[in-house]
Amino acid sequence: MTTLTNGGMTPPDLSGKNLSLRRSFADKGATLGIALCVLIAALPLALVAWQVVSRGASTWSLDWFIEEIPRNYRTEGPGMGPAIVGTLAITGMAALLSIPVGVLGAVYLNEYGKNKPLARFIRTMADVMTGVPSIMMGLFIYVGYVTVIDDRTGFAGALALACLMLPIVIRSTEEMLRLVPDELRQASSGLGARKWRTTLGVVLPAASSGITSGSLLAVARAAGETAPIIVTVGLTYVYKPDLFDGANTTLAAQIFRNASQPFAASQDRAWGAALTLIAIVFLFTIVARIIASRFAIDKR
Amino acid sequence: MKLNRRTIFGTITAGALAMSMAACGGDSDDASGDGDLVSGEITGSGASFPDAFYAAAIEAYAEVNPDLIVTYSADGSSAGKEAFGQDLNDFAGTDSLVGDDDGPEAGSFQYIPTVAAPITVSYNLEGFDGIQIDQETLAGIFQGDITAWNDPALVATNPDLALPDTAITVAHRSDGSGTTKNFSTFLDEATDTWTLGAADEIEWPEGSIGGEKNTGVATVITQTDGAIGYVDLADATETGLVTAAIENADGAFVQPSLDASTAALAGAVVNDDLSYNPLNAAGADSYAIVAPTYILIRTEYDDENIAAGVKEFVTYLLTDGQDIAADAHFAALPEELRTQALDALNETIA
Repeated sequence: MTTLTNGGMTPPDLSGKNLSLRRSFADKGATLGIALCVLIAALPLALVAWQVVSRGASTWSLDWFIEEIPRNYRTEGPGMGPAIVGTLAITGMAALLSIPVGVLGAVYLNEYGKNKPLARFIRTMADVMTGVPSIMMGLFIYVGYVTVIDDRTGFAGALALACLMLPIVIRSTEEMLRLVPDELRQASSGLGARKWRTTLGVVLPAASSGITSGSLLAVARAAGETAPIIVTVGLTYVYKPDLFDGANTTLAAQIFRNASQPFAASQDRAWGAALTLIAIVFLFTIVARIIASRFAIDKR
Repeated sequence: MKLNRRTIFGTITAGALAMSMAACGGDSDDASGDGDLVSGEITGSGASFPDAFYAAAIEAYAEVNPDLIVTYSADGSSAGKEAFGQDLNDFAGTDSLVGDDDGPEAGSFQYIPTVAAPITVSYNLEGFDGIQIDQETLAGIFQGDITAWNDPALVATNPDLALPDTAITVAHRSDGSGTTKNFSTFLDEATDTWTLGAADEIEWPEGSIGGEKNTGVATVITQTDGAIGYVDLADATETGLVTAAIENADGAFVQPSLDASTAALAGAVVNDDLSYNPLNAAGADSYAIVAPTYILIRTEYDDENIAAGVKEFVTYLLTDGQDIAADAHFAALPEELRTQALDALNETIA
């Protein structure tokens, strides 16, 4: 009603030109302060990126991606091929193991379990496991798998990384499912769809972009893990595409191994491996974003 | 038996063929039969201290026999011993002897000494090279009793230098380390005044600075005026640190070097199991703080091919590999110990 009676008057000036000097000063100051904070927050990220690119870019060449890793720290020159393949294979296998289980687990928690004691227990355990140091997962697999089959393998590393990723996938997926409005579920049920149909056809697609980015966060974290890999995977200089056949290696493990040496040649390789790892994670993020946006239900 | 038959066969064939072929056959016979090189894969893990040497040797060895893939993963001495006990590696590298709870059972392994390297006492005091430190003073510095570079104890051993009153900052390893163990063991054995014990990790005096791995300690020394710390020779040389001459058992001040280390090894008493303690060894040219390192080989291997591979690689380490040691800043074994090690290897893996 008030808006109606206001009809004949000039609209209030919201441009801020007539603000008092003190208020406009406070406004400008706060805006500047916030912008400065953003800049400061972005500064370490920019410095890291700049440092890694400037020191690692010189190592990149075709040979860098295909040659075997030099056995000697002091030998100059390229070769990180086996570590790149190892990273992709081990992280890929870990994702294959953990993402389906994690997503289905989250579906149980949010769609079926809700506040049942079992669901609450799983939720708490997943929270606790998110905070467990990664080396614990490595030791768990070392004791439970490596010493049982008496061999360090790439698959053991994938298992350790999968254990690490699982709670992250569960919790992030559950958060995403919770964001899907209940009206969608009710509408689907109202049209006669069964619960599994609703979950599969409506809830999961609606949350797919969030699930993808959550899973990717887990993949990115796993790809950068060093400690569990060293314990469970061992070391190799040559290509080992078969994850079940003997020791393997990853980029993160190679960064650790090469960076702690005093020799310039191996330190260069460590920087190169760091840049390669960042590039791989970056590439995956972009690809996954594209896939997610294709499959997501249009937001209206 | 197998080897003999093949060698004879090879010689006969070579003789029956053209002259050039015969010459080839003769060459390979001298190198104890190229045709008998093992192919396959052997893995070792353990001490990080000799890693640079093993890495260099593995690369050089890959040119001798590209079919035998050797891997050495520097997980640390205790991890290597544990993995050895769990049958996860084919040989283990270790800087320390095997204790009761380390993993490998007594009698299941044989020590093979490979190389040794000096632990330098490096410092950062601009303009003062070659400072001499006696053993008691060294203990005093590292347990915080001596806090300035112009302390009378230091002036006494360096009469020609006008040492400044710069404060001494002790740099040490922040991670558990065999280097710390060897360095503290030396101070513990050599001096009466050392009170901090001998272990992988030590409670260093207040105000000292820790660094991660040898590289980290080297960085701390480089960046801190008046700092002193213990660093292995490879890192000290690559980082360009200034090293102190340390008093040895004969009372002479000796700079860390590979020759002085080999001299110390020659002066050390070797036990029956081939373990030995080169710390504070006798001899006027011996450097006092030398760390030994061993490879553990199994007395019994399940797989004959792996046994042959380990034997072949360790033999290489003890023969041609010794020439590579100096490049990686490691001291070769003295002739007598080297022969003993080769004999033990041949006896253990027939």
